[in-house]
Amino acid sequence: MSNRFTRWLGRLGPTLVLIAAAVFFIAPLLSSFRVAFHKVPTVLLDRHTWFQKWSFEGVRRAFNEPNFWPTLSLSLRLALITVIITMALLVPTALFVHLRLPKARALVEFFTLLPYVVPPIALVAGIAAFYRANARWFLNTDYALAPFYVVMAMPFTYRAIDAGIKAIDVRTLVDASRSLGGSWAMTLRKAILPNMATSLLSSAFLTATVVIGEFTIASTLAKNTFATFSFEYFGRDAQGGIGLALLTLLGTTGLLGILTLLTRTKSRKAMSKTSRF
Amino acid sequence: MSALTFAGVRKTFGANVALQGFDLDLQQGELVTLLGPSGCGKTTALRIAAGFERADSGTIQVEGADISKTPPHRRNMGMVFQSYSLFPNLTVAGNVEYGLRTRGIHKAKRAERVAEILDLVQLGELGGRYAHQLSGGQQQRVALARALAVQPSVLLLDEPLSALDAKVRTTLRDEIRRIQTDVGITTLFVTHDQEEALAISDRICVMSQGNIEQLGTPTEVYRRPSTAFVARFVGTMNEFTAEVTGPGEVAVAGHRMAAPGAGDAATGSKVSLLVRPEDLSLGDGGLPGSVTSVTFQGATTLVGVRLDVLDHLVSADVGNGAADHLQVGDRVSVVVNGANAVCEAAA
Repeated sequence: MSNRFTRWLGRLGPTLVLIAAAVFFIAPLLSSFRVAFHKVPTVLLDRHTWFQKWSFEGVRRAFNEPNFWPTLSLSLRLALITVIITMALLVPTALFVHLRLPKARALVEFFTLLPYVVPPIALVAGIAAFYRANARWFLNTDYALAPFYVVMAMPFTYRAIDAGIKAIDVRTLVDASRSLGGSWAMTLRKAILPNMATSLLSSAFLTATVVIGEFTIASTLAKNTFATFSFEYFGRDAQGGIGLALLTLLGTTGLLGILTLLTRTKSRKAMSKTSRF
Repeated sequence: MSALTFAGVRKTFGANVALQGFDLDLQQGELVTLLGPSGCGKTTALRIAAGFERADSGTIQVEGADISKTPPHRRNMGMVFQSYSLFPNLTVAGNVEYGLRTRGIHKAKRAERVAEILDLVQLGELGGRYAHQLSGGQQQRVALARALAVQPSVLLLDEPLSALDAKVRTTLRDEIRRIQTDVGITTLFVTHDQEEALAISDRICVMSQGNIEQLGTPTEVYRRPSTAFVARFVGTMNEFTAEVTGPGEVAVAGHRMAAPGAGDAATGSKVSLLVRPEDLSLGDGGLPGSVTSVTFQGATTLVGVRLDVLDHLVSADVGNGAADHLQVGDRVSVVVNGANAVCEAAA
């Protein structure tokens, strides 16, 4: 009996921590959800009003804002460009470090972590000064944000790519491909990148999330991205603004879901092929 | 003409000399094994042949043509690696087909060649599987098929059996030899396992610290090791302290014997006499001692004996008849045949 009680006590601690964590994350979301879609002030909430006046009116108003679609479109384009630049820069870098400069790995990891410690405002001041002196025309375009976002996303993206490389025996795969006549381009295309698909997808997803939610740099450079629009719109219409924030969260969570589904489907397909033999 | 030639190849990694003036010729259709302990330079030599490492000096030639500066993907060499190196995203057939695709071979011909080569390694039924659906032995056979599919001028095998369990290792070892002989391909095989080297090779190149210690047939390397290092590294050796008593003659604890290996070492000098277990026998007039172990090995029995005079343990590989009734603790006399012994000046 005492053993059962001890086991129950042992389980109680972790369960309480889990419940507390769940409440910590879910309670604000539920509150936001009510504020966004329920047109009843909190002070008037009772069992009669609880089921009344639920509507998507706030979000619909946001959708009808003239800047909604252009800013969303810009943020998505920026996300795409940032993902492309990130992949083009970081995949070869990570591979090069693994294959040719393994001793430099710690140093490269340190550099990729710098955007964590450098505040975005300092980053934007430094890079903008460089652009102003050398390519002012570029700073005037909306796409000037992409290089900033590449740097901002680097701590996440490099780690995702690095983990993907560590998960495969990259040196042997490269050597095998090269010994079979594969050029570097073919080796990357046929032997390395397909085996890093999951980590590349994760990296792309993380980059897109950073870009879509980034506010400081876009605001400082006076660009109208989805994040700056959401902030500005929130000032005018709190209910619609919260609705937008929730939808953004839903969108990024949906992306994560698709990513998980894709990777699971891939492994399930492989498993089903096993059963045929 | 040699199929593969290393001429004066030297390679250093920082202060470490991996290969120093390495010279080796492989004849057409020959299987040569680079054998040695870890760090002796055998894998470096193989990787230089494959083009993954660049020699500091010296040349690599294939059929007389210098390929020292040719990148790996243009060397037309097939390679099998120690770790399983199949592309996880491709099926067995896709893996075998890979090298054929890089050469721009037509789809129909590729399919034909894949089927043919998978049959050769007896995996014809597994073309649709992925690497993670195969055993280690099957993966290495696919890797071998993949390397052979492109009809390389030289096959390079970098410890392909070391990740496998003992039984699969023996089976695959014999399989590699059968396929190599059938195809008639020149092969450079790297291993640290002397048993593997003795079983599979036409010639063995024993290496130590970037140098070739001995190059010869398995019989030569085993029966007539040219240095004490080779004698100790290949097979089992019993070591006796002996005194040179004349030209080609030594005495172990007062027992004189012919030992051509002593050569013209100065009379009275001390040497280490290295003798194989099969060159020790149990009989009269030898070194007295007590049996410490009797290990039945099938055709022969390995008898461990602690010698009285030298107070050390030796192993004698004797015919079963001579060891049938032996028991631990029995008194025996060990006769040393120094004819094939290697002598080394005692430290």
